[in-house]
Amino acid sequence: MPNFNIDADPKHTYDAIVIGSGISGGWAAKELCEKGLKTLVLERGPVVEHPKDYTTANLDPWDMELRGGLTPEQQKKHYKGIRSGFIGQDTEHFYANDEENPYTEVKPFLWIRGHQMGGRSLLWGKQTYRWSEMDFEANAKDGHGVDWPIRYKDLEPWYTYVEKFAGISGEALGLPQLPDSHFLPPMELNCVEKHIKERIERDFPGRHMIIGRVAHLTQPLNGRGQCQYRNRCSRGCPYGAYFSSNAVTLPAANATGNLTFRPYSIVQSIMYDEGTGKASGVRIIDAETNEDIEFKAKIVFCNASTLSTTQILLNSTSNRFPDGMGNDSGELGHNLMDHTYRVGALGKVDGYDDKYYSGRRPNGIYIPRYWNIDEKSKTDKFLRGFGYQGGGYRMGNSEAANRKEFGGDYKDSIMKPGPWEFFITGFAECLPYHDNKVYLNKEVTDKWGQPTLSIDCEYKENELAQNKQIQEDAVEMLEKAGVNDVLGFDNEHEPGYGVHEMGTARMGRDPKTSVLNGTNQVHAVKNVFVTDGACMTSNSCVNPSLTYMALTARAADHAVKELKKMNL
Amino acid sequence: MDRRKALKFTGSMAAAAVAGPSLLSLLQSCKNEARVDWQPQFLTMDEAAFVSKIVDMILPRTETPGALDVKVDIFIDKVYAKLYDANGQNHVRKEIEKFNSDCISDFGDSFVNLSESDQIKVLDKAEQNSGQFGSGVWGTTVGNPEPVGFYRSLKSTILWGYFTSEEIGENVLNYDPVPGAYHGCIPLAEVGNKWSL
Repeated sequence: MPNFNIDADPKHTYDAIVIGSGISGGWAAKELCEKGLKTLVLERGPVVEHPKDYTTANLDPWDMELRGGLTPEQQKKHYKGIRSGFIGQDTEHFYANDEENPYTEVKPFLWIRGHQMGGRSLLWGKQTYRWSEMDFEANAKDGHGVDWPIRYKDLEPWYTYVEKFAGISGEALGLPQLPDSHFLPPMELNCVEKHIKERIERDFPGRHMIIGRVAHLTQPLNGRGQCQYRNRCSRGCPYGAYFSSNAVTLPAANATGNLTFRPYSIVQSIMYDEGTGKASGVRIIDAETNEDIEFKAKIVFCNASTLSTTQILLNSTSNRFPDGMGNDSGELGHNLMDHTYRVGALGKVDGYDDKYYSGRRPNGIYIPRYWNIDEKSKTDKFLRGFGYQGGGYRMGNSEAANRKEFGGDYKDSIMKPGPWEFFITGFAECLPYHDNKVYLNKEVTDKWGQPTLSIDCEYKENELAQNKQIQEDAVEMLEKAGVNDVLGFDNEHEPGYGVHEMGTARMGRDPKTSVLNGTNQVHAVKNVFVTDGACMTSNSCVNPSLTYMALTARAADHAVKELKKMNL
Repeated sequence: MDRRKALKFTGSMAAAAVAGPSLLSLLQSCKNEARVDWQPQFLTMDEAAFVSKIVDMILPRTETPGALDVKVDIFIDKVYAKLYDANGQNHVRKEIEKFNSDCISDFGDSFVNLSESDQIKVLDKAEQNSGQFGSGVWGTTVGNPEPVGFYRSLKSTILWGYFTSEEIGENVLNYDPVPGAYHGCIPLAEVGNKWSL
């Protein structure tokens, strides 16, 4: 891949500025550049060039100092993020520094951030699902939040468009609650998963267990290699086999010659021109020199990630917008949502001790939502629903350490794989609540003296009722499927653990109750677009990234058409 | 002595209990073998001897290398030195002290000075009494497991050091850094030992 042009010129006015280079920012950059716009992408952190900057991608445990363990200094640097359980020596450089970038948990909330080119597109779980018609209708039907200004049919062609380029593997099922994507061949279930799938689908009509739909190539696509089943994705994939901005969208944007990528650029605010009623550009702080610099553009795409985008908008004050850009409704910062996390069941599976697998599959199983999808599946215990992720595997070191044995025979026995274990863990939809919110905290500033966010968010009755059902159903399904020693769990993780934070600058039909219109434009500042998770009006129960991609491509298409009509 | 034969016999308290006098005297004959021929970064020489002895008893040399052969004792010292903060280090030191003071009250001497048969009894007891790891999902513990005891935690670190050593990872377990494909259902016999990665 050619080097990126990182020489941004403040004297030059760009056609477009994209704030952030993660999943949605990468798509904005690609679409705008391919449509001929000179586009400046502002990234808070360093360049991570595919594949040369994946410095840990090929390290085996014994190649790493301390076999991958985090030192006390590294633990301190990630003193919040570390509780996710995801951060190791091999990936810690892709997780934001919590000490330099503090946030305040008014109520417990875990905010996982990736401050580098590609953002969290390097770190995401790659589970990739379309939202359904029932997701877009949900608010209107039960009256929570405001109505989405779009429906499934508005997004359907854009889903197909982004899927063809991103590469999504999976199996088509024709389920109304989980529309099929344009699929590459699915990955394979293992023996235990196949067994449990058969039992669940036999004993629980209407429930399905499928291989996860994932943004991994199962065959080559556009010069990218297919998955090699190393399961070292979060270090960056040298084959470009999973979807990341670094391997997929940013190289495409760069190939047009229209991209300027500026690293170490912390967007402080979006500038508002009182005369034109439009945004004129953005003001940044150079993270390395602390210099304040302004860049001008005709349109601005906000893709800094859900809460960072809202933080920038809240910090973009003017005479016209004293409470943050586009905040006429007072909804900016409100209606924060995340999926509930870590409620489910697990247990051991007998009868397959002579079976094993080869390859490390970066994927598991998925059980699509089955409550409240039709008249028959309606419950009065809660609104909306949940899905499960999970999988089967043979257990490793902690099971071996738990055996009450030691010595030669013990050592020889743990050279063999441990017993089979199978788990499922639920992801429930969170309703949009006005009082789940973020706001600027001027008392706590970051390394660059900027105000930070206070996060005040909690799960309420409807989410807790779903968690109860998630655990009950999980235990019941596993027991009926013949799993032994079934342990149901509800670890009551606070929001943020799902890393599916959504809302705080929602789309809507009415400027009085929403921040963005049906094409992701700030109602009162039409040349500012928000197409990351901040725009979400509801939460669904499925993973959101594919929907951000589709919304971004759709909004970029609209933006360029409007620019051509001189409407922006 | 043939460690493999001796320790093979002693995987559980029951096995230790039925071991006859001849075996016990054989085991006793190899007492006071503990020695440390490397310079610890965190542990004292006495503590290092203690760790080395436990490392060797949990994963002795058999037909495959033992944990000492791949320097797991040195690794444990490094983990305590580099990955533990001051609180964690103090805790380790206290736990080793407690382990030894229990040995003194039960058997009259600190662990490394006990006969091998008494050392086996000590570890059998530790296996029974030391809390176990709870189940985990994607890096976080689920349910409400009991706290993990010092012995179990040390044992787990020993396994970590052993299985992530280059010799075991590349030559003893099945090493396949780039599998290229996933096959979800194959006979275990085709693989043999577990995958190392």
